[in-house]
Amino acid sequence: MNKWEVFVMDMSELAEGEDIELSIRTLNPGLHKYTYKRVKCQVSAKPDAFPDSLQVRMGRGQLSASQYSIKVLAEVQRLPEKYR
Amino acid sequence: MSKISAPKSNREFIEACVKAGDAVRIKQEVDWENEAGAIVRRACELAAPAPFMEKIKDYPGFSYFGAPLSTYRRMAISLGMDPASSLPEIGKEYLKRTNSEPIAPVLIDKKDAPCKENILMGKDVDLCKLPVPLVHDGDGGRYVGTWHAVVTKHPVRGDVNWGMYRQMMFDSRTMSGAVFPFSDLGKALTEYYLPRGESCPFATAIGLSPLAAMAACAPSPIPEPELVGMLSGEPARLVKCETNDLEVPADAEIIIEGEICPDYKVEEGPFGEYTGYRTSPRDFRVTFRVNCITYRNNATMTISNMGVPQDEGQLLRSFSLGLELEKLLRSQGIPVTGVYMHPRSTHHMMIVGVKPAYAGIAQQIAQLAFGSKLGPWFHMVMVVDDQTDIFNWDEVYHAFCTRCHPANGIHIYKNTTGTPLYPYATPHERKYSIGSKVLFDCLWPVDWDKTNDVPTVVSFKNVYPKDIQEKVLSNWTAYGYPEVK
Repeated sequence: MNKWEVFVMDMSELAEGEDIELSIRTLNPGLHKYTYKRVKCQVSAKPDAFPDSLQVRMGRGQLSASQYSIKVLAEVQRLPEKYR
Repeated sequence: MSKISAPKSNREFIEACVKAGDAVRIKQEVDWENEAGAIVRRACELAAPAPFMEKIKDYPGFSYFGAPLSTYRRMAISLGMDPASSLPEIGKEYLKRTNSEPIAPVLIDKKDAPCKENILMGKDVDLCKLPVPLVHDGDGGRYVGTWHAVVTKHPVRGDVNWGMYRQMMFDSRTMSGAVFPFSDLGKALTEYYLPRGESCPFATAIGLSPLAAMAACAPSPIPEPELVGMLSGEPARLVKCETNDLEVPADAEIIIEGEICPDYKVEEGPFGEYTGYRTSPRDFRVTFRVNCITYRNNATMTISNMGVPQDEGQLLRSFSLGLELEKLLRSQGIPVTGVYMHPRSTHHMMIVGVKPAYAGIAQQIAQLAFGSKLGPWFHMVMVVDDQTDIFNWDEVYHAFCTRCHPANGIHIYKNTTGTPLYPYATPHERKYSIGSKVLFDCLWPVDWDKTNDVPTVVSFKNVYPKDIQEKVLSNWTAYGYPEVK
């Protein structure tokens, strides 16, 4: 199980029942903790709906009491080819 | 200029601080995740010695130096002065040195540059190999750059710019940062790179000598490499980057080279800032792609932990903004007695002392201050007369509360340049860097009759004859009072 975290301005950004794109950061222990990935995913407000957990923070870093779960469908590459 | 013996590197500075009792060596292991940041924050809030953390969890061989310039004592040490020097003395020395002849930097060979002792290129590049701290719990990421210089060069004019733009680690090869549109780098990106779709070479230097950091932080028109020379009394040592033509401080602890992608943005923030708040929203900001990392053996990463007063973000910016404004006002022939920003204003209020020589002088000062390149960084100007000690908040506050006419003495300027960091600003103003400014004119109007209209200050030093004052002072302990130091 992986642990992820996301920052949102509004909980409505975490739409359930559809594929959405988010920038999430890993909370797994290790040197890469807090690094981000852009992913296509599904999320649920039920903590056990998907295997990976998703912790939520608001726009100024406030930790939300809601614990979500997440299914990462694919990584999204946003970086233009010329910079790779 | 007489010989200056200022620390020439971060290492020399740490040694000087430890020797003076202004830094402590922390031998036990410290966690990069929150613990190091919490130590630095507490040291700032207590005005305690700077923490030199010698053992970092997961990062053997690296160390942290926090709160490098968050006290005037350490600022004096950085300038090679007596740590007990007063603020006016430090300010006078800064003005003397920065009004001297520019000293050009020297370019040294790569083999002589300590920052080249370790070089990571290609697939070895990974920011996570550096002990990038999570400075505050709830920050948007681990911040690589909190006390550093982002080195760039204007593509046409060739001007070198060292700026302290905060930088967050987004992933192993990407950083995102707050670069405001009115900054030198912001203007170069908007005017040149973005329309052409070209990337902008950059280098981030971390663990600078304290005077190099001071130069990067100072809003001076003098190019930073020369300013470092003027402040330290000898040429700054620079070395060429590995992957671009930029020149960086050879004695820095860590150099991160890469390119800014003007047409590609990733999220940055939130981050605890010098205002004492997390103000700016998480947003898509300027993106830095990393191509190379070089660092010294046993490199020390510098950490500034910004928050409520006082840290170096407030102290040094207040110091340099105030003195640069003083230089500007003097250059315009305005008879100022001094300019001071109290660090506790989180560099938002400029206090100007002036001889009230003519009508409208306070407005002239405010318009120059707000209209200058310094202007976006503060939104209050308070003008007091030459009899008020600008460094004595009791006197300034008394002048403000009694001489500033509520209807005639407060002047508001709307729709000026601001920053997203202003805590008072609306969400819309923050998004578009829109500000508002205010002048508090605490001068007696020049058209008042000085004998009959201007109130007399009732104080010991102002209303008693000299002989009575001397008698009372000489008898003070005889009256039964303890001696006043």
